[in-house]
Amino acid sequence: MKKLLATLLALLMLCGMSGAVAENADVTGKVIIYTSMYQDICDMMSEALKAEFPNAEIEFFQGGTGTLQTKVAGEMESGKLGCDMLMVAEPAYSLELKEGGWLHPYLTEARNNMRFPYDEEGYWYCVRVCTMGFAYNPEMYSKEEIPTSYEAFAYDEQFKNTLSMSNPLTSGTAMATIVGLLDKFGEDYFVALGKQNVMIESGSSALAKLETGECSVVMILEESVLKKREEEGSTLEWFIPDDGNVLIPSTVMTVAPEKSANNNVAACEAITDWLLSDEGQSYIVKGWMHSVLTDYPTEPYDGKPTQELMDTNIEVDWEKCYTERDSIRALFQENVTVE
Amino acid sequence: MAQQTAPMKSALPQRRFYFDVKWLIILVIVAFLLVFQVFPLLYMLYKAFFPESVFSLSTFTRLYTYEMNWGALCNTLIAAAATMVLGTVLAFPLAWLVGRTNMYGKKFFRSLFVLTYMVPPYLGAMAWTRLLNQNAGTINVFLRGLLNIDARTGPLNIYTIAGMIWVLTTFYYPYAFITISRAMEKMDPSLEEAARISGASPLKTVATITLPMMTPSLIAGALLVFVCAASCYGIPSIVGAPGKVHTVTTRIVEYMGLGQAGINDATGLAVFLMIMAIIILYISDVVVARKQYITVSGKSTRPNIVDLGRWRGLTTALVSLFSVIVIVIPFITIATTSVKKNLGKGLFEANNFTTMHWTKIFGRDDIIESLINSITFAAAAATIGIIISFTMAYLLQRTRVRGRKIPDFLITLGSGTPSVVIALGLIMTMNGKFGINLYNTAAIMIIAYLIKYLMMGMRTVVSAMSQIHVSLEESSQASGAGWLRTMFKVTVPLIFPSIAAGWFLIFIPCFYELSMSTLLYSRDTQVIGYMLHYYWTYTSQQQASAMAFGILLVVVALNFILNKLTKGEFSI
Repeated sequence: MKKLLATLLALLMLCGMSGAVAENADVTGKVIIYTSMYQDICDMMSEALKAEFPNAEIEFFQGGTGTLQTKVAGEMESGKLGCDMLMVAEPAYSLELKEGGWLHPYLTEARNNMRFPYDEEGYWYCVRVCTMGFAYNPEMYSKEEIPTSYEAFAYDEQFKNTLSMSNPLTSGTAMATIVGLLDKFGEDYFVALGKQNVMIESGSSALAKLETGECSVVMILEESVLKKREEEGSTLEWFIPDDGNVLIPSTVMTVAPEKSANNNVAACEAITDWLLSDEGQSYIVKGWMHSVLTDYPTEPYDGKPTQELMDTNIEVDWEKCYTERDSIRALFQENVTVE
Repeated sequence: MAQQTAPMKSALPQRRFYFDVKWLIILVIVAFLLVFQVFPLLYMLYKAFFPESVFSLSTFTRLYTYEMNWGALCNTLIAAAATMVLGTVLAFPLAWLVGRTNMYGKKFFRSLFVLTYMVPPYLGAMAWTRLLNQNAGTINVFLRGLLNIDARTGPLNIYTIAGMIWVLTTFYYPYAFITISRAMEKMDPSLEEAARISGASPLKTVATITLPMMTPSLIAGALLVFVCAASCYGIPSIVGAPGKVHTVTTRIVEYMGLGQAGINDATGLAVFLMIMAIIILYISDVVVARKQYITVSGKSTRPNIVDLGRWRGLTTALVSLFSVIVIVIPFITIATTSVKKNLGKGLFEANNFTTMHWTKIFGRDDIIESLINSITFAAAAATIGIIISFTMAYLLQRTRVRGRKIPDFLITLGSGTPSVVIALGLIMTMNGKFGINLYNTAAIMIIAYLIKYLMMGMRTVVSAMSQIHVSLEESSQASGAGWLRTMFKVTVPLIFPSIAAGWFLIFIPCFYELSMSTLLYSRDTQVIGYMLHYYWTYTSQQQASAMAFGILLVVVALNFILNKLTKGEFSI
């Protein structure tokens, strides 16, 4: 069934593409996009964009979220960014950029077909969705031997010294997760995490600790595990904790023309439309993330159904994530990252 | 040049218009440092002291009264000091054994000891966490079996300050080793011979002659280790942070993630590292300058070799054991990681051996491009760097020019400044806002590398030149040779091994540089250090290990080829 749907989708895309070439031939000029998507996915998307916009020069500049945010902060000093579009981080960052006057509003048609939040004025749209949950190694531990809920992760002492999570001080998705958990469990949750000696690290490097048995459970994004399963045939498993998962949409934004690298708003708008089209979303799904479009037919390789993830979602208050960021970070680091 | 433009008809001697080329070179270097290092750093400092365009110490008060930052400052000082002591204590005997005794396999060990210099420190940190993590570390599992310990964890734990010092030491002792062994090779052995003839034992000779004569190099090497360990980010972030041990650099990177306000805080914290670098420069200036000995004179010298006698076998065995623990085991860990499908399984377990990570890594165009970029940028930085180093060495050792210590101070300050701060300073000032636009070019990366790593080469060359007696140059100039000719015919050949080593000492860290490249690279200037870290953090540790081992092979091969081409004169 999945295969059939995928074939149908591919056929649809082909039809869409053949019609679109002529339509988008008037899109010209250069566009630089900062993104934290995997390099392979950027490569694939670049090819597709080249076919879609034959007369435009579209470049992805790929890097980790924290790195790109630091780069952008450095560039802001000069009053101009080195890019035209951003596909990085979660809505809290978009709120910050919008307030700072760095973004250009655009109302895309696709907003009527979205199942994730977007800015009413069109300053940002969710373009891909990641999910924070747990991963473990079934070859080393049975599910009875590991914490299966966020609550047990922090409060069950038998798992002390065997747990790991990403660093909210350098990772936006981890920051969003702790904001969600803070609302759900209260400040006491951070104290408990600290007592468990949860290891704080960056990226998906903790997956190696699952393979070697150093960690029993790692709080990590679904996409990291799915990528490893598809590319390396890994047997690591990702699951939704009993008390829910945290859905973290990532946004696409166009930089205000006077502050952008190439002042090419028309092309940016066309690219936004494409990214939020079925074809654009197909690359998101290939990149092990979930689509933002309502009723999008496929899930990422080995991924959980998007609807299931939405049903068990622990809500994140994006406004709070942005406005109370400093105090939440301080609370976390004082309780979890130091003795 | 000025001589040629002098009016031919003039009856006055042309000397009046004589322009010494060395001043031009020195001027260029100072100008370079002022524009690309001092200005960006001052700009960053200005932003820290004037957060809202009004002078305020609020950033500093807030930062330095925050308990967590104090903890990080203490950890940094403890870790860097311990690494310095341990690294020097290890490096001196090793340099002596390799350079001055008849220990078996000296040449082999010499190359082996500098091997850890050739891989990025965070790769070593990864290997050590694999070996010594308390739950499943290979060495811990082995020890639990060996000592019959009935526990699920321990007995050793890498995620502690001691573990961090251990990894820092294994990675930074080569800095001291290289500095000391270079000086040792250049030392005049006649004093040692005199001691031996007067009846001193080999050990007593080492303690009373060799060691005191080596003091300047020992201090220079030790301080180099201190500065590098204090400004290292990779090892503390992988070994320290998971065990709640933070350092100034890990805090700086965390502040960096906070946007523009965070950059001010990060700069404020970085001031601590810069001040430390200044103090170190002061110490090395005062102490080293007082203990300077000239040990290479006009006489041809060959270091005498101490016969270890019955200790020869035992010493070789001990050094071998050291090499196995510090170098072989971590490197084997990286190598085996690169050919394993599942890290949790043994290499020879069914279907676990694979070459897919190697084929994947080296089948990618962007990785090959990055490799070429890295070699080009690092070679450019090393070549410019060594020219600057040589000129600086001349300036410091051969002239009494007022202010000659300013560039030396700036170069040391640069190496003590955290990489992220250098990169951000350059981003903020070299983007066209102040008339120079180098953003997203190869030049900005080469400049950043130079600022950070120039000191490695400079210290080596300065220490070598301090041991060459000025009389040799004077005789050349008395015979009519100009400054450039004297330099190329006399000084450079005499200290060529140090120049070559200095070149390599700059080349290597630039080759796999990560922190600055991550912020400065553009689409066309991606480098291997960034790729490696990216793969390691976000893709697969196996692929990253394949890339790292590949890099190691490239560097070792390069070192070997250059060594052969120059008949043994070029190697580190």
